[in-house]
Amino acid sequence: MPVKNRFAELQDEITAWRRDLHEHPEILFETHRTSALVAEKLEAFGCDEVVTGIGRTGVVGVIKGKTNGSGKVIGLRADMDALPIHEQTGLAYASKTDNAMHACGHDGHTAMLLGAAKYLSETRNFDGTVVVIFQPAEEGGGGGKEMCDDGMMDRWGIQEVYGMHNWPGRPVGSFAIRSGAFFAATDQFDITFEGKGGHAAKPQETVDTTVMTAQAVLALQTIASRNADPTDQIVVSVTSFETSSKAFNVIPQRAQIKGTVRTMSKDMRALAEERIKAVCAGVAATFGGTADVTYHKGYPVMVNHEEQTEFAASVAKSVSGGCDDAPLVMGGEDFAYMLEERPGAYILVGNGDTAMVHHPEYNFTDEAIPAGCSWWAEIVEQRMPAA
Amino acid sequence: MPVKNRLADMADDITAWRRHLHAHPELMFDVHETAAFVEDKLKAFGVDEITTGIGRTGVVGVIKGKTNTSGRVIGLRADMDALPITEATALDYASTVPGKMHACGHDGHTAMLLGAAQYLAETRNFDGTVVLIFQPAEEGGGGGREMVNDGMMDRWNVQEVYGLHNAPGIPVGQFAIRPGAILASADEFQIYVTGQGGHAAAPHEAVDTTLVASHIVVALQSVVARNVNPVRRVVVTVGTFETDSNASNVIAHKVTMRGTVRTLDSECRELAQARIRRLAEDTASAFGATAVVDWQDGYPVTVNHETETIYAAEAARAVAGSVDDAVDPIMPAEDFSYMLEARPGAYIFLGNGDTAQCHHPAYNFSDEAIPAGCSWFAELVERRMPAAS
Repeated sequence: MPVKNRFAELQDEITAWRRDLHEHPEILFETHRTSALVAEKLEAFGCDEVVTGIGRTGVVGVIKGKTNGSGKVIGLRADMDALPIHEQTGLAYASKTDNAMHACGHDGHTAMLLGAAKYLSETRNFDGTVVVIFQPAEEGGGGGKEMCDDGMMDRWGIQEVYGMHNWPGRPVGSFAIRSGAFFAATDQFDITFEGKGGHAAKPQETVDTTVMTAQAVLALQTIASRNADPTDQIVVSVTSFETSSKAFNVIPQRAQIKGTVRTMSKDMRALAEERIKAVCAGVAATFGGTADVTYHKGYPVMVNHEEQTEFAASVAKSVSGGCDDAPLVMGGEDFAYMLEERPGAYILVGNGDTAMVHHPEYNFTDEAIPAGCSWWAEIVEQRMPAA
Repeated sequence: MPVKNRLADMADDITAWRRHLHAHPELMFDVHETAAFVEDKLKAFGVDEITTGIGRTGVVGVIKGKTNTSGRVIGLRADMDALPITEATALDYASTVPGKMHACGHDGHTAMLLGAAQYLAETRNFDGTVVLIFQPAEEGGGGGREMVNDGMMDRWNVQEVYGLHNAPGIPVGQFAIRPGAILASADEFQIYVTGQGGHAAAPHEAVDTTLVASHIVVALQSVVARNVNPVRRVVVTVGTFETDSNASNVIAHKVTMRGTVRTLDSECRELAQARIRRLAEDTASAFGATAVVDWQDGYPVTVNHETETIYAAEAARAVAGSVDDAVDPIMPAEDFSYMLEARPGAYIFLGNGDTAQCHHPAYNFSDEAIPAGCSWFAELVERRMPAAS
């Protein structure tokens, strides 16, 4: 069973939506035009319920099947926000807004879920209820978390959730997935070391903050090499290091380092935070200084549930003939919050040989639309087959 | 023998000169008014020869003794330049130039050497020749080196040179000196480390420049701890560390570090430079990164010559009754080092009393030290080249 014929027919229309979204990117929670456009389309498709303002600017649509003997409710989620990147594609439909660009393909995700919603509203060939979820602020804003915090899962009785992301480097329209931890938890840290500044020629009267901080950067390497279970995954990167003075002949009073932690389990994540604090405090104390560690928790580990992953993979096989095992991804994904609340799965759909996501020359590949839309529709029709 | 009576009599004049100079500070080589002031005074004193424009804006004066059977020529040096500091003393003769200040007492040094010149030109009670050296740009400009490079030592056949510097913390009018290194060399370095930048979540595709540069900072501590002979004195300081990105999710591509090296002998100075280059380059190489060390030579070590230090100390003892002749060296640097590389000589500290430190906006030269400083210059001349009896 290949892509659905109806999506081949709808492809031009969905592509036009996608390109319109691409031309009008909006950042984080400021997806006002996009949200309005989504709500308008859902109304036009004849969805049974359209609610805006969930998670600030998120949109939820409800489509009831011909019957509801199963009582099942499945959530399908797309993200709507763009990135603060200046587009350099030279496309006819390139971004009209400086320093805003759909460089992660959320325009494609939104258009594909709209396409699926249109088809499902037309056909309603399933026994149960579909909740289509359009979230803002996936790119660092936690829009998915805000929708969950707004009570979305309970309000619509959602029992399972599914999500999808385009993936450059994979053949267009092919799928890949993995069970369990899939995308990393992405935390940030910001640490200020303080010694005692002074004249560079009188080190004996100072506590040299530069040396203390450099020692801490080295000591932080041991979290991955000595503390972490070698069979688990962890990245601790110190990415910025700045002394409070820029002079040749002054020992600085303070130095600030920043960085990120990527982990694939709650245990590793907790270990990283605990060890960063202990290592920095210990190294600073050794030299007679102090370390002030601020640990910002970002998105949690995104964990695909086993049963739903198997199901999602089998649906992908039915659409495109196969489904690959995906590798672990050390990037983060806001859909993690929805998968913490409900069982579900997240799949990658090939975007072909394009620039990587977040690159100013990236573009979503419209040829992937039929496969993506078909996967959404098949999830619904296979999970809640019509009586 | 205390301070010379004549110089005590002249103290009010010399103080007036000092305060005039203090109110009109000039920086680096731009000491035009100061040099003109010095030239006018030397002319009025009747010195035998005055030459301006040595080392750009330096002034040289020559005073011949009553006789010259010794053939000896002694150089006495003072510095004339001020600092780019806004004065915060509230003195009635405070700087009239915003952002410029005599915060290192060069106004006092110049006034004292002028005082000694007046006395020596009046009395000429010595057998030989005195060369008065007023240099610009001691504060980082290398004015002393420029005067030496202009051929000053050979042109006036200077055989020995002496200099003094006021010293806050030592009682007014007391002297302190040591043979050998008394002030440090001060070199500066920048280390540019280049790795391979990338995404913070993909460390395996990057060469983490922050980590490499941190290893270098730690490795550089071994220069003092492990390479330098423990009885020698060296400071290696990395003052600045900067990644080229300050994002949380980007592994930096480049890191720039800046620092300084202070040593008290040329051997340690060369050792420190060689070790810093090797440690930076090889540490970087070990991680697959590169390090480029950019070295800027500053002033060399100021080394007092042994015999001349004894003469300088004896003159100081004659003036002040006693002298600390084994003072600890200090790690700041001094342009007079170039003159001591060209000729034997000595550099002495003259107590400035309990004042703010040099380079502090509340610092002031202590006029009470003038008779002692002038007397030391004069005493050196009369002792090294005693008049024929």
